[in-house]
Amino acid sequence: MESVAHSIGLSAVMIWTLVKVLVVFGFVMSIGSLWTWVERRGSAMLQDRIGPNRALLFGRWQLLGLPQLVADGIKFFFKEDQVPPHATKRLYWIAPMLAFVPALIGFAVIPFGRSFTYQGALYHLSILEPGNGMGMLYPLAIGAVAVYGILVAAWSSNNKWAILGGMRASAQMVSYEISMGLAVLAIFMRVGGYDPGEIIREQVTTGWFFWRQPFGFLVFFICMFAETNRLPFDFAEGESEIVAGFHTEFGSMKFALLALSEYAHMITASALLATMYFGGWAVPFMPVAPVLLTILFFLIKLLFFMWIFVWVRWTLPRFRYDQLMFMGWKVLLPISMANLILNAWLMARGH
Amino acid sequence: MAVIVKKVELTWLDRSYVWPIAAGMVITFRHFIKQITTPTSRRFTIQYPDMKKTMPKGYRGLHELKRFEDGAIKCVACFMCQEACPARCISIEAEEFSELNFTQGFEEKRPRVFKIDMLRCIYCGMCEEACPKDAIWLRNEYELAAYDRLSMNFGKWDLMNTYAAADGKARLSQDSESPATPSRPASASSHSADPA
Repeated sequence: MESVAHSIGLSAVMIWTLVKVLVVFGFVMSIGSLWTWVERRGSAMLQDRIGPNRALLFGRWQLLGLPQLVADGIKFFFKEDQVPPHATKRLYWIAPMLAFVPALIGFAVIPFGRSFTYQGALYHLSILEPGNGMGMLYPLAIGAVAVYGILVAAWSSNNKWAILGGMRASAQMVSYEISMGLAVLAIFMRVGGYDPGEIIREQVTTGWFFWRQPFGFLVFFICMFAETNRLPFDFAEGESEIVAGFHTEFGSMKFALLALSEYAHMITASALLATMYFGGWAVPFMPVAPVLLTILFFLIKLLFFMWIFVWVRWTLPRFRYDQLMFMGWKVLLPISMANLILNAWLMARGH
Repeated sequence: MAVIVKKVELTWLDRSYVWPIAAGMVITFRHFIKQITTPTSRRFTIQYPDMKKTMPKGYRGLHELKRFEDGAIKCVACFMCQEACPARCISIEAEEFSELNFTQGFEEKRPRVFKIDMLRCIYCGMCEEACPKDAIWLRNEYELAAYDRLSMNFGKWDLMNTYAAADGKARLSQDSESPATPSRPASASSHSADPA
């Protein structure tokens, strides 16, 4: 690897980072678009329907409806990219990226496999090396930025329905962030650090946080739905009341990016859930597992939570806005506070 | 009178939302498993151009003007259906025909023109009810589409042939006055109404 790296004038570390970035982001983006297919076919199955199956590859192969993805992609690329004349042009152009990029780069800090040594060098399976000082705060901070994508999209399109959707979504995300932060704080407290590697190692030795902090998990899980703007908290959208919501004025690839950002968010949220409450790459009953097996288990956990997102969406009706606010401030916040205090008390008693 | 609305008392388990949501998700997942393990041909959805629904008995679809075994039209142009039609989509012009025909029961009247405007027809089946000769049936065909209005105006021969292929009968294009028609028997031929 060293010699290959030197021949193109890069260090081995840079090559390794580059490979990780390409593989991980390639994976996240392809899973994100694949999950639009899972959403559509899966929801169809949940509702005794069949789902999109008419798109054929080369007019011949149905492939369980997967060519629909290609068809959608081609359609989105070739649609007219129209900017409404009353829009704030610059923000209107930036907004889809502002929504998509934070959703994607939140994944950077998540370790997706056990660190391993190869030829005397230690390799970490996460884009950002552990011990970078940001740890789990980074995806949470980035996740908080994602609300700007929606709000900017809503505001720049200068449409009353869009701004209503954007306002609702941002109010919701802000009010759920506090409960989420407190739930995560209990974990940081228990672990004594906020590096994802540390959190996973703690779970390998003492058991998953899902068992140790079930209420914290519940709060964090619900807040993840609110953060990703998925049902039952999809207040950014609303066909029946505000046309389409924050992306009313967006078309072609801009709309596709806004829609995909939701799925990228789902991946990051699932990765966070898996890392913090389900032991990340940890293989159950196997303290030292092969690297490939750890990657596989991380994938399984990730996809399981992604499926949960789809499953919940097609099971539950959405909340009313006051119910949402009630739940955020009067139910989840006290629970996460109680969880924090309970854990603090348990830790204090243990010493 | 006031109605006392009975309020449902939720248990604490129901009010927690977590348990009912889990129960609901189990229900949807059961549907998921059932649907994904059912082959496409046996799912509820009928994938229309590939699969077709078998219409129930008594379905009122496209009309057929019935014929006798020798191909003569059963209709005697009595105008009952035209009168009964609430959509006024049937228009008949009668004609006399002198060649007395056994199978037709010595009728001397038949439609020269029998038109149904399929765009006007509401498929109520009143014409079928009104017909004294059982000569018009509404049957199971429902795929009626055309590129222009004129081709939705079905004439006499269109209506007689609507189910010819489905029933394995010959397509007709003219009234049966060929020699093969079993006309009145030779013994009765001297009573012919039309000596010319």
